[in-house]
Amino acid sequence: MQPAVEFRAVTKRYGAAAAVDTISFTIARGDLVTLLGPSGCGKTTTLRLIAGLEHATEGQIRIGGKDVTRLSAAERDVSMVFQSYALFPHMNVLENACYGLLASGIARKRAEEMARSKLALVGLSGFETRLPSELSGGQQQRVAVARAIVLEPEVLLFDEPLSNLDAKLRRHVREEIRALQQDLKLTVVYVTHDQQEALAVSDRVIVMNAARIAQDGTPRALYEQPASRFVADFIGDANLLPVTVRRMDETMAEIRLGSLALTLPHRGAANGSAELAVRPQAVRLGEAGGLPGQVLRAAYLGSHMEYEVGLAGTAAELFVIAPDVSTPIPAGTEVSVTFDPAGLAVVPGS
Amino acid sequence: MSGPTSRLRMLAVAAGLFGLAALVPRPAAAQGSVVIYCGVDEAWCRAMATTFEKQTGIHTDMTRQSAGEIYARLRAEKDNPRGDIWWGGTGDPHLQAAEENLTQDYKSPQLGQLRDWAQRQAERAKFRTVGIYLGALGFGYNKEDLARRKLAAPACWADLIKPEFKGEVQMADPNSSGTAWTMLATIVQLMGEEPAFAYLKRLNANINEYTKAGAAPAQSTGKGESLIGIAFQHDLIDVAKRNFPVQVVSPCEGTGYEIGSMSLIRGARHPEEARKFYEWALTPEAQKLGALNRSYQIPSNTATPVPPEAPDLSRIKLIEYDFATYGSSATRTRLLGRWTSEVKNAPR
Amino acid sequence: MMRVWLGLAWAGLVVLPWYGLEAPLRAISALQPEALPALWQGRVWLWPLAIPLLMAIPGRPRLLALSGALGLAWLCIEGLAIGHRGWGAPWLGALFGAPGPTQPALGWGAAVYALSCVMLAAIGLARQGWCRGDVFVLGSLLLVVGLIVLFVGFPVVSILTSAVRDNAGGFAPDLFAEKLFNSSIWGLDCLVGTHACGVAWNTLAQATLVGVLATLLGLAFALAALRTNLPLKPLLRLLSLLPVITPPFVIGLALILLFGRAGVVTNFLALHFDIPRSRWIYGMPGITIAQLLAFTPIAFLVLVGVLGAVSPSLEEAAQTLRAGRWHTFRTVTWPLIRPGLANAFLISFIESLADFANPLVIGGNFNVLSTDIFFAVVGAAHDQGRAAVLALVLLAFTLTAFMAQRAWTGSRSYTTVTGKGDAGLSAPLPGPLRAACYATVLPWLVLTVAVYGIIMAGGFVVTFGRDNTPTLDYLWTAFSIERGVGGWFLSGSGWRSFITTMELALIATPVTAALGLLTAYLLNRQNFMGKGAFEFLAMMSFAIPGTVIGISYILAFNVPPVELTGTGLIIVISFVFRNMPVGIRAGIASLSQVDRSLDEASQTLGARSFRTLRLVIVPILRPAIVTAMVYSFVRAMTTVSAVIFLVSGEYNLATVYIVGRADVGEYGVALVYSAVLIVVMAAVLAGISAVVGRQKIGRRGMLAADQPVVVQA
Repeated sequence: MQPAVEFRAVTKRYGAAAAVDTISFTIARGDLVTLLGPSGCGKTTTLRLIAGLEHATEGQIRIGGKDVTRLSAAERDVSMVFQSYALFPHMNVLENACYGLLASGIARKRAEEMARSKLALVGLSGFETRLPSELSGGQQQRVAVARAIVLEPEVLLFDEPLSNLDAKLRRHVREEIRALQQDLKLTVVYVTHDQQEALAVSDRVIVMNAARIAQDGTPRALYEQPASRFVADFIGDANLLPVTVRRMDETMAEIRLGSLALTLPHRGAANGSAELAVRPQAVRLGEAGGLPGQVLRAAYLGSHMEYEVGLAGTAAELFVIAPDVSTPIPAGTEVSVTFDPAGLAVVPGS
Repeated sequence: MSGPTSRLRMLAVAAGLFGLAALVPRPAAAQGSVVIYCGVDEAWCRAMATTFEKQTGIHTDMTRQSAGEIYARLRAEKDNPRGDIWWGGTGDPHLQAAEENLTQDYKSPQLGQLRDWAQRQAERAKFRTVGIYLGALGFGYNKEDLARRKLAAPACWADLIKPEFKGEVQMADPNSSGTAWTMLATIVQLMGEEPAFAYLKRLNANINEYTKAGAAPAQSTGKGESLIGIAFQHDLIDVAKRNFPVQVVSPCEGTGYEIGSMSLIRGARHPEEARKFYEWALTPEAQKLGALNRSYQIPSNTATPVPPEAPDLSRIKLIEYDFATYGSSATRTRLLGRWTSEVKNAPR
Repeated sequence: MMRVWLGLAWAGLVVLPWYGLEAPLRAISALQPEALPALWQGRVWLWPLAIPLLMAIPGRPRLLALSGALGLAWLCIEGLAIGHRGWGAPWLGALFGAPGPTQPALGWGAAVYALSCVMLAAIGLARQGWCRGDVFVLGSLLLVVGLIVLFVGFPVVSILTSAVRDNAGGFAPDLFAEKLFNSSIWGLDCLVGTHACGVAWNTLAQATLVGVLATLLGLAFALAALRTNLPLKPLLRLLSLLPVITPPFVIGLALILLFGRAGVVTNFLALHFDIPRSRWIYGMPGITIAQLLAFTPIAFLVLVGVLGAVSPSLEEAAQTLRAGRWHTFRTVTWPLIRPGLANAFLISFIESLADFANPLVIGGNFNVLSTDIFFAVVGAAHDQGRAAVLALVLLAFTLTAFMAQRAWTGSRSYTTVTGKGDAGLSAPLPGPLRAACYATVLPWLVLTVAVYGIIMAGGFVVTFGRDNTPTLDYLWTAFSIERGVGGWFLSGSGWRSFITTMELALIATPVTAALGLLTAYLLNRQNFMGKGAFEFLAMMSFAIPGTVIGISYILAFNVPPVELTGTGLIIVISFVFRNMPVGIRAGIASLSQVDRSLDEASQTLGARSFRTLRLVIVPILRPAIVTAMVYSFVRAMTTVSAVIFLVSGEYNLATVYIVGRADVGEYGVALVYSAVLIVVMAAVLAGISAVVGRQKIGRRGMLAADQPVVVQA
């Protein structure tokens, strides 16, 4: 089967600066793929390249197996939910939802029927004659979604759809989007800078940094096997510690971190120095048996404790999350630091 | 959002505006049309155009401009004339236009009925123009103003350069006004060129403004914006007839005059209609319209009654105006150039 | 799409009359050869026009673009090379032998052919991927550029070419230099001798004086409105609208009636205080007062905006730092509004440079460039070369000021509004400054009221100031309605011009607004090569004084290939291109408040740019569109400087008619007519704002009425 979206070495330049630099990927039908990265990494440009709102300087873009590189947005089988929702302020909810259908030449009666059914799907029956300005933020967002899916596009694009909602609503809406996508078997490309959001909804995440793809994989792969220190740090915080690698066999290696010796998958790292990504939750602070350290700062956050721990003999400071809030360790305490291997990963090529 | 009411109101406004526009009177299936460049007073021009239209059914397009402007227009449009007939305005630009072949020669069967000055005008122009009225030059003063200032009334050209009239005399700019050109030519013919320019330079010190239109000094004098105004006597009479305190003076040294003329424009788009207008304009019936519209010149057709308000030619000392010389482009250009550089732009 | 345009192009060549815009039907019925389509003319040089159309093959975009360009190019070449009396340029005659073939002015066939060529080129380029393949965008871009080049660029170039020619049409660069450096333009005799100064210096001095005074007055009004307790705001807003709807010269007229040698005030002073009557008002003083009355409101609007944007918390901060009122004003407020002052000065300066009507009415012997241009053309001297040279000088002045203004406002604005929560009270004005404000503002208000009182009432008395018996005679003269044999008809002398003005303004209004907003859309929403140049060209017509437009249109459009003088069309076109920048500005201001993602949403939903424009942008911009229409209508009704050159017997305009009446001293009719115009336009403004007032969509009011709109006369 043809992939829904395919990028072949696509570059987009503004003058001399490349916003997107020779990236290639494919998105399979029915997948929800997230483009994740810090602001300015090129993820939104990539999304707009799919939509046809920007045109590639080089490379080829295919949607549903068809080359669309030179087609305008109106000619592509794609629709988009905008960050600002971009609801037409002078049209009511039904008119907004019908807009795309009417533009594609469907008779008004039939279009309204289809629009009503999609509005019902997002729970907005009865709001048809309201103006966008008379709706809450969450409702506006649903109208935007309904307006986009009513066209049953090959690909549905979301540009930071949750950023205008408050924190509580955000979790709820993202679950709704995921459910909708699963129910309707939609192919969705989703842009966000929030890694939690990305991990929560995605089948696959494409992490971008500085106009290039930093890593492309499932949420679990990204978290557990970051391909670079950028990905390790960007996805779920990591302490990056300098280590020495000694390869033992095809998959495993002995990792020396100060006086500690750990056995971990080497992930392609060669003998010699490398970096180890340590998740804050994987650090154990105990009485003895590990690296000597000292608690520098401690903060109580209700559900957990956060510590910063200095490792003896190094300048490194570890950021630690500990679930135990009943017996907090006061700043200044000498501790012994050990690690849960599940939260450790060698970062190759660093 | 626009409710139905606001939309309705918008419609109503638009309808109102278009309704106004629809009021425009459009001649139904006009019997041809004629474009008239008219060089006399607006009211007279309008009366001529509408009466002609009423009597013949020929649609008229009338533009009123000063004779100088019409002449300039003819020159600008000579490659592609827009007008059909040039009716009225002082004779010199008509003569110049004739000389430059901008106008069409035509001998009216009514020519014999015209006063001799009108016929001579036609002969001078090789029948490219014809005289329709005569107006004598003069000046007027504001009686109230003069009494208040306790000044002696001016009676001669020479009086106008008296120092007590400093900044009190108004005349038109001969560059744009045929009236003022007639005055310039008159002074030159009366005094000779050099003394004339000496006179004009001294007069310049007394001039408060060179207006664009020839009739404006008469109006200013009536309104009291100027004490003395140099203009055609019929214009001054008109102002006086409107209850303004203007006294008309026929200068003691003698004065020049204009022969208001009419010319057919060469290459006109409606030559037939233009000729009809030409013939009609020479009839006593048409010429009577002048006095009816407060223009008190002496009409050219002997059969037209001379309006009682018109200046009595027997009491005016008219000079032997040399239209041939002072109607020619060369003289005109030279004298105007000299006047502009030596008089108008001279220190005040 | 392509087939339609190709068909139209063929129609232009084969079906429609190639020559003559006017009365084509009459020409056809008379079987005049000129009315034949191009290919049946028997004029061989028209045949190559068919070649590009044969080249236009579907599926060959490159060829299509080329054919459109070639068609246009040949149309321009043959049109300019072969005139109505032979070769268009002497060297052609020398090369091929004089006099050469002739042809009349282009007509509807040529117009349709040219338009189709533009569209074919647009389709060809779009198919090659230009402008993201958007035919509509590319087509409108080429069309707008073409129109601007034809109706702004070509006339300006015509000025240039006629400036370097003598009156016989020969090339005479030495004469040009002589004219350009003529002492009547640049003479400085007034400084050393007793001669008058050159007209260029007169103009600059006048404009500088008015710029400075208008800025100071505007500042006084702005301070009085925002920083004192005078209940002025509503009144000032009303007053700021007045100059927009006032025909530009009536202020001068009213000043004559007040302060002329026989004016009301002069009479009073002469009678009771023995102050001798004089004609001081004629000349620079009168022009200055009249222009101040007209332009101070514009400066006021600019400065109210700037002063209102000075955050009160800055002044409060200064005060908490122990600065007194005067010190606060001098060290905080004044520096912050300085860019606004410069802007206000430059706008008033440009306005004064371009003003034509006030110097005409009240200038006396004081000449400025705009009136000199006029007299150079209408005078018996009839020196088009001199008019062109003067127009060039004036154009250089206004363009310089225009660019200075753009540079200044572009780079120097301290916007101190930082968002919400910027509460606080502005510092009260220092005592002496407040006193100065009152002392300026209150007498000026009295003067304004007196002037407008005279304008409204002066036409309803026999002779204002002399015989104040009420009369309707003048109203009757201008606007009588009589019953004749054929029913009621409008017999008043003013009806004709009034109705013509209404008609032409109403025709021009939607075109102006559409073209302006389309240009605004292209500038704000599309990216393309040469956008900066395009914007400059589009906005430049703002800075071209009306007199220059008028003279350039006469020079450019009196003879073939494009012959428009004497038609109503040329007046409509001059309205459109003089007022289009109002539409552009209103459009850009509103468009930048409309989220771009609305367009993008529409596009991703399958709507192309034309549909997006029609269904999304236009409805949202409706207030801006109405504003643009109202302003272009009102400006068309009140303009005089450009059209005084362009009116003809059939198409006379209200303002030109009034100027003519005032010129021969018939003030009664002139004032009555002006009052009628003012009332009509006030009614239009009030009616429209009542309709539009409630239609603001969600966002803040986008009416350009809140922004200063430059009103050139």
